[in-house]
Amino acid sequence: MRSTHWARTTLAAIAAATLAGCGLGDPNSSDGPVSATGEVKGKVSIQTWALKPKFTDYMDGVIDAFEKKYPGVQVEWLDQPGEGYSEKVLSQAAGGTLPDVVNLPPDFALPLAGQSMLLDVAEADPKLADDYVEGGIDAYRFAGQDGAYGYPWYLNTDVNYWNSELLGKYGLDARKPPGDLDELIAQARTVKEKSGGAAYLMSRKPGLGDLADAGVKIMADDGKSFTFNTPEAAAVLDKYRSAFKDGLLPKDVLTETYAGNAKLFNAGTVAWTTGGGNYITSLATDNPTLAPKVVPSAAMGTPPLYVQGLSVAKNSKNRAAAVALARWVTNAENQAAFARLTSIFPSTKASATDPFFNQSDGGNAGNAKVIAFTSLAKARILQPVEVNDAMKTVVNQQIALAISGETGSKQALDTAVSRCNQLLKG
Amino acid sequence: MTHRRWFTPWLLAGPAVIWLAVFNLWPAVNTVILSFTNAKPLGGGHFTGLANYRRALSDDQLVDALVNSIVYLAVCLPLLTLLPLLLALLVERKLPGITFFRTAFYTPVVASAVVVALIWGWVLDDRGLLNGLLGQFGLTDRPVSFLTDRWLLLFSAIALTTWKGLGYYMVIYLSALGNVGRELHEAAAVDGASALRRFWHVTIPGVRPTMLLISVLISVSALRVFSELYVLSNGTGGPGGRDMSVVMLIQMYSRGFSGHIGYASALSLLLFVITIGPMLLLARLGRKAA
Repeated sequence: MRSTHWARTTLAAIAAATLAGCGLGDPNSSDGPVSATGEVKGKVSIQTWALKPKFTDYMDGVIDAFEKKYPGVQVEWLDQPGEGYSEKVLSQAAGGTLPDVVNLPPDFALPLAGQSMLLDVAEADPKLADDYVEGGIDAYRFAGQDGAYGYPWYLNTDVNYWNSELLGKYGLDARKPPGDLDELIAQARTVKEKSGGAAYLMSRKPGLGDLADAGVKIMADDGKSFTFNTPEAAAVLDKYRSAFKDGLLPKDVLTETYAGNAKLFNAGTVAWTTGGGNYITSLATDNPTLAPKVVPSAAMGTPPLYVQGLSVAKNSKNRAAAVALARWVTNAENQAAFARLTSIFPSTKASATDPFFNQSDGGNAGNAKVIAFTSLAKARILQPVEVNDAMKTVVNQQIALAISGETGSKQALDTAVSRCNQLLKG
Repeated sequence: MTHRRWFTPWLLAGPAVIWLAVFNLWPAVNTVILSFTNAKPLGGGHFTGLANYRRALSDDQLVDALVNSIVYLAVCLPLLTLLPLLLALLVERKLPGITFFRTAFYTPVVASAVVVALIWGWVLDDRGLLNGLLGQFGLTDRPVSFLTDRWLLLFSAIALTTWKGLGYYMVIYLSALGNVGRELHEAAAVDGASALRRFWHVTIPGVRPTMLLISVLISVSALRVFSELYVLSNGTGGPGGRDMSVVMLIQMYSRGFSGHIGYASALSLLLFVITIGPMLLLARLGRKAA
């Protein structure tokens, strides 16, 4: 009799725990306006992404200065390793233990904002738009949600890099780079024909960014469906398919990830790659012979905008201090100091006239930095933040099918849109 | 005088029961429940009935993944059941230096699957060692698409699995061969049986229970293959994602902030059911043979 009771109790406990674990029920909490005003004091935590140990001194300095400015504040700095950061943030969000201020790129912030876990900093900080560039703030404005859910921290974009020696060998001039896809394909044909297939100019598949750059609308304005299965998008894929068929791209672009392009460029097999403003500096370590021969140029079409930001947890017990800390770390002075340590660009309007970013030392790395900085003025987020890893995989797979000729371009795009819509819908 | 209290067995079994309930039973039950919901890592979790299973039935990628799994199973099962047995028969002999060969055959087993797959990736790449050698000897005029053709990629992964598994199953067979009576071989030889007949009528019956066990192990691991295909395809699932295994699909759908935990759970359950099938079939065949 007793054992039956115990068995029932155990089963009930397991069932209750299981149901709780699977999250059945309404997960949404109230969405009312929240206040972030008040005295800046007390304990506040900030979480960064892989800044230790390289930037430990910088962050310590920023935090010390903040604590000095607000004597009643104690800042706890948490730094997470680069690998597994999304899983870490996810577990913190699911467990309700998000730090007060947390480094989130826009695609991480989107689902958290959707669950009302982040503070609308546009509401909490009315001066946001006065101090930060529009593109940076817009990266944290999400379709279907009012407000902005992060302070833009630093920006980056892509620059084209050309192997001048390889191009020169095949009669091309790195200082006269192609201006669009047609010219790129024409030059790729020259490299292929003159090298007998030993070298390539192009070595990556197009992605959603390339389609957006070609004027294709990737997503509906309400963020509820994808729209990139257009004839214009199919025409872009057709061009790539024709180039692939003619052997202008290595075969392994079908399965190679983007890193493959940089790998081949570093090995001197491919004459073109894209990368951030500091690509030549890192190349100097991997291939010091090649680095001086690289010529940078602005991205073809619209440059992509990459944004990192600091969000504030909505359930922070010390919102006023959290908002003040996020603003402090991202202010013009601190961002400018950070940009001098590594190749990132500030998201503050005050940095636009900083001669450090506008003037090159004359070297190719300095030129790349200036090109990247000036490109930021017209850069925009080409791939919507709604595109998650599974969607990227699906799009990548379908584009590979289209380029290999196994499927028609329009059919591949239709399938990609259909699958992405299903992933979006859940 | 001893006291028998009703809770004594519970106290003894308690730790193991709790362990099983928390780490085996609960996750399994939770997976079943989740498969009927639209659960996501953040939010969702509403009951959706059979929607995930209906979605699975119309999922082209699942069809491809199942075809890949069946091919994987169909090729790996005979290869990994027979080759290690032949290898075990070779290294069972007491010859000078045979320990070196035993160790050499076993080495791939202790190597990390990911590291081994990466090395194979370099070897099979368009600009890799194998294509270089083939070109050098004039056997091919252009690189063979080991990693960029759907079927060649799948068979490259199968070759990798087979190569890596040989040593492990060889060791199991070695211990089984030790139990096959030498006198049976000698009696058969005296009766004039050839080496092939002795293998067929003495060795095979002697190791049949081990073969059955190995077949079950191979079936389960072939249907759950992940590392080989993932690494050789750089995580893309091959051209058009047509080389994905069911586990790769589950990984793709479940990861990230917007992971479809409900759908991934339904796929997990389908994989579980599919894995049980060959196991039951092999067990039945084993009983019949016995």
